[in-house]
Amino acid sequence: MLGALASRFGAAAATAVLSTAAVFLLIRAVPGDVVGEMLGQSAGDPAAEEALRAFFGLDRPLWRQYLGWAADALRGDLGASWRQGLPVAGIVGEAFLVTLQIGLATLALALLAGVPLGIVAGVRQGRWPDLAVEAFSLVALSAPVFWTGMVLLIAAGAWLGWSPPLVYAGPGEDLSDNLESIALPVLALGLLQAAAYAQFARQQTARVMRQDFVRAAVARGLPPRAVYGRHLLRNVAIPLVTFAGVILVQILGGVVVVETLFAIPGLGRTLLAAIQARDYPVLQGALLLAVLVALLVNLLVDLLYAAIDPRVRGA
Amino acid sequence: MSGRARFEYGAGLLLCGLLLVVALAPGFLAGSPDAVDIARRLAPPSAANWFGTDETGRDVYARVVHGAGTTLGIVGAAVVLAALLGGVAGAVAGFVGRLGDMALSRGADALLAFPPIILGIVIAATLGPGAVNLVLALGVIYAPVFFRIARAAALGEAARAYVEAARALGHREWAVLLRHVAPNVAPTVLLQCVILFPLALQIQAALGFLGLGVPPPTPDWGASLQESRNYLTAAPWLAIFPGLALLFAAVAALLLGRGLQSRG
Repeated sequence: MLGALASRFGAAAATAVLSTAAVFLLIRAVPGDVVGEMLGQSAGDPAAEEALRAFFGLDRPLWRQYLGWAADALRGDLGASWRQGLPVAGIVGEAFLVTLQIGLATLALALLAGVPLGIVAGVRQGRWPDLAVEAFSLVALSAPVFWTGMVLLIAAGAWLGWSPPLVYAGPGEDLSDNLESIALPVLALGLLQAAAYAQFARQQTARVMRQDFVRAAVARGLPPRAVYGRHLLRNVAIPLVTFAGVILVQILGGVVVVETLFAIPGLGRTLLAAIQARDYPVLQGALLLAVLVALLVNLLVDLLYAAIDPRVRGA
Repeated sequence: MSGRARFEYGAGLLLCGLLLVVALAPGFLAGSPDAVDIARRLAPPSAANWFGTDETGRDVYARVVHGAGTTLGIVGAAVVLAALLGGVAGAVAGFVGRLGDMALSRGADALLAFPPIILGIVIAATLGPGAVNLVLALGVIYAPVFFRIARAAALGEAARAYVEAARALGHREWAVLLRHVAPNVAPTVLLQCVILFPLALQIQAALGFLGLGVPPPTPDWGASLQESRNYLTAAPWLAIFPGLALLFAAVAALLLGRGLQSRG
């Protein structure tokens, strides 16, 4: 168990190093850097460009730039933004908390709505509840999530006469403003992920329902409540818990575009702004965080799986 | 094949065929997507303009119809590119194994560690806007997925008795790979193309919405949605119809993929 854990951890660390290195090289591979954009009018003055490039360390070979950045990052120092001069860890951390709140609220919504729908559909296979859930998930999975957000904005404006506040409010500032800010993004993301959860729960329920011990329980004349409560739910619960990890990583991706639509200062908007400004330290910090969170969640899911299901431990 | 699978397959095939017609022959279905008519700007849907008009009076219906070729063409080309890159690399890696396999597998893991949209933003932003760059960005995102699938399939085939028999008969390694392993890996890769199409479509639309897609005035569904952002309350039809087109295309591909999957 300990050996398997160590090797999983090692693989995740190696992936993190490789992916950050790949991104590091990619964003430096394009012509034009922060220097040209910063100098603006006085661009073309070789002495000024040279000095600025040396100041940012862009004159060193790529591999030395990466190793320097990685060594600092390992010590917890992500450097300072080239545009704002503030520490990257602070900028990225603050943005991540905003994204995390939306992500967790979305996950809760997806769980609460998706799981019951999926289980009902799985139990009533081929009947109308199943078809209704299938139709809902087909549409919800097919609609681009930012478009769902736009439709929600239009609908809320037209029918409720309500629109979210123009400026985002954090949970620490004013809770009711904060809830108004995140309501539509969470709803848009939640509809999509509830559909994903419903599909998965339906498939898992159908799998358990086909098994002999469920049929035996029905044949023994147990009331439906006992069959579903004791035999079905216990066996469906494990994969459903671990699926939360998959959903959380998906939300992390989807939230990027939704943040732009709703002008929420989260990780996605920070990433986009950093790309546009060619602010490499912020960009690298944000990407590092995104990859680490994705890897960590996957690792946790594997561990959780092993902890619940003894059969997985040897593998 | 169950009734449901038959329905999914039939409906998917029909809708995809319909989309193909729209994408290939938009001229028969709608007028020019670029005809500007300032006098009729932001007009709501009517008999003359079924989907209304945009801020320069262009017909939204014409732009949606002509956008099919751009949007679906880019996604289609990207999926084919990813299938070629990832499929070939995966088949070779799975069949040959050893060091090359290890290096390629780690590379694929590194790319798969990113949420696809984040990788797409970084690549598309570095390459700059444009249809070809968008195809490249989407191709790089999905190549690792094809790599894994082709690798697993080739690995399974390489252990089969007929491969050993072909070797025993004295065929060269590349001939065994090309003539025996590749034809058995190809169907898996093809099915994956259909399964990934709706996912790639979402990313393509998102990149267009973020302004990282095809530059104006080329009609593109994602780009149209970006242009509609400033008119959400004044002219909601600008956002509704390109989005419905995306929804329609994704449903079509999703149904076809499910139907094909349960056909086995």
